[in-house]
Amino acid sequence: MGAILKLEKLSRYFAGLAAVKEVSLDLEEGGLFGLIGPNGAGKTTLLSIIAGSLKPTSGKITFKGRDLTGAKSFKAVQAGIARTHQVPKPFRTLSVLENVEVGLRFGGSQRSGNDAKDAMQVLELVGIAHRQHSPASMLSVGDMKRMELARALAARPTLLLCDEVCSGLTESETEQILSLLRNIRKAGTTILYVEHNLKAIMSVCDHVIVMNYGQKLIEGSPQTVRSDASVIEAYIGKKAAQ
Amino acid sequence: MSEAATDKGNLFPLLAKAAPLLLAVIAVAFIPAAHPSPNIIRLMFVTLVWVTTSVAWNLIGGFAGQVSFGFAVFYGLGAYTTAITYSTGVDRFDSILLGACAAMLASLLVGLPTFRLKGPYFAIATIGVSEAVRVIMTNLGFTGGASGYRIMERGPFNQLLHYYIALALAATAIALSMLVRYSKFGLALLAIREDEEAASDLGVNPFRTKLLAHALAAALTGAAGGVFVGYAAFIYPQGVFGFDISVAILLMPIIGGLGTVWGPPIGAAVYGFVHEELIASFPQFHLLLFGSLLILIILFEPAGVMGLAYKVVGLFRRRK
Repeated sequence: MGAILKLEKLSRYFAGLAAVKEVSLDLEEGGLFGLIGPNGAGKTTLLSIIAGSLKPTSGKITFKGRDLTGAKSFKAVQAGIARTHQVPKPFRTLSVLENVEVGLRFGGSQRSGNDAKDAMQVLELVGIAHRQHSPASMLSVGDMKRMELARALAARPTLLLCDEVCSGLTESETEQILSLLRNIRKAGTTILYVEHNLKAIMSVCDHVIVMNYGQKLIEGSPQTVRSDASVIEAYIGKKAAQ
Repeated sequence: MSEAATDKGNLFPLLAKAAPLLLAVIAVAFIPAAHPSPNIIRLMFVTLVWVTTSVAWNLIGGFAGQVSFGFAVFYGLGAYTTAITYSTGVDRFDSILLGACAAMLASLLVGLPTFRLKGPYFAIATIGVSEAVRVIMTNLGFTGGASGYRIMERGPFNQLLHYYIALALAATAIALSMLVRYSKFGLALLAIREDEEAASDLGVNPFRTKLLAHALAAALTGAAGGVFVGYAAFIYPQGVFGFDISVAILLMPIIGGLGTVWGPPIGAAVYGFVHEELIASFPQFHLLLFGSLLILIILFEPAGVMGLAYKVVGLFRRRK
């Protein structure tokens, strides 16, 4: 299978400071990719650029052979790229079901014609079907994260960008989300997963990309990345690594 | 609430929602049959005009959360356009329609540059535009400038005709507001109000959606201005473009309950009658009293009369 997403020398500067610097990347269709790096490495910025929330300063984004550079986020999601936010951004006064309906009715292209059924299906998938009528503001942190994921899934993405879906969750909740990601990937969706939790990333991804200071440091299988000296250095410092 | 948004094939919930509107329209339509004094009919007419502007403001201010301090621009443009075209021989209904169109065009002038921006820019721009338009209209020659414009009446004055035109427009506004609230378009507006970035991330085009809601609100407000002109023999800039008109238009939906279908008409009714009483008893202090009322509402019942009503209903249910 070919690359579903191709990034060429993507950069984003904030007031002269490079948050993302000349990142080139190919994501193979159907893969589950991990994106890791220390705080401030530019992971979320890169995700936001791909999702269309931020415009790149330079570089090119090609998605399914289509130039998507600088496309607004609603265009990106209609093309098939959906994202979740590190800090959930719920529609607080709307019900959980209505939150999901927004993704369902405005997101992707093909709809089954039965929105109510589809919305419930997504809620069941992430395990918050019993909260469908609650206002989103009443959800716990864990359920809020699940709803964030459900909304993105409702948009029927072919590329799902997950920003720390497991931060703040207990170990068993994390395990549930990870197995959910595995299933989503099995169903054919490509996933780019940003995570602080290295254990989670290493257990679920088959390919890991490491960023530091806005640049791509290295990429490869979890084993290669784990034993790479530059990665250890980036994470725990030069002295300790020696 | 959410089922109605999804159950497209089911007609019953839609009928159940439209029933209160039908009953209200019938009730208001039969009030003249009781032969109330012309002054009551006048008060009802003005209130129905306010119902339209209040419901219109709520489309963009309540559903989409985009607060505007400049709806007098649309009201005034609608009024002047209707007045001038009617006086030059255009049919009454067509002149109101032209008033609505003029207001809609003006809404694009405000919306196009500001709706691309996030944050309070739209609200700030509406204040600037509304003052600018008032000053221009005060100094414009062919509309009579500050001394105002006298409308050419082409037949005997029929109070009830205007009453029913105002009722038809108010009912149309509420019906539209209902359709918007339970449509895909309405869902987009609510999503934008709650979190514009998240809405965009899920496929909503915030710019286009806000522009459309603003245009619809402006058209209704312009038509309301046009309907008012039918009743008034004379209009002047401070009367229809004044900042107090803008404030009144945004006050009513807040009193009634922002972002609901029935809050804005209720708020307009409350405002219409209270305003009349206050202005008669305290001509100098009525704005001060309304200001205090607004502060109290925001502090203690941000959901307005509708919020209060839901709380009372909730209390009774708990007792059972």
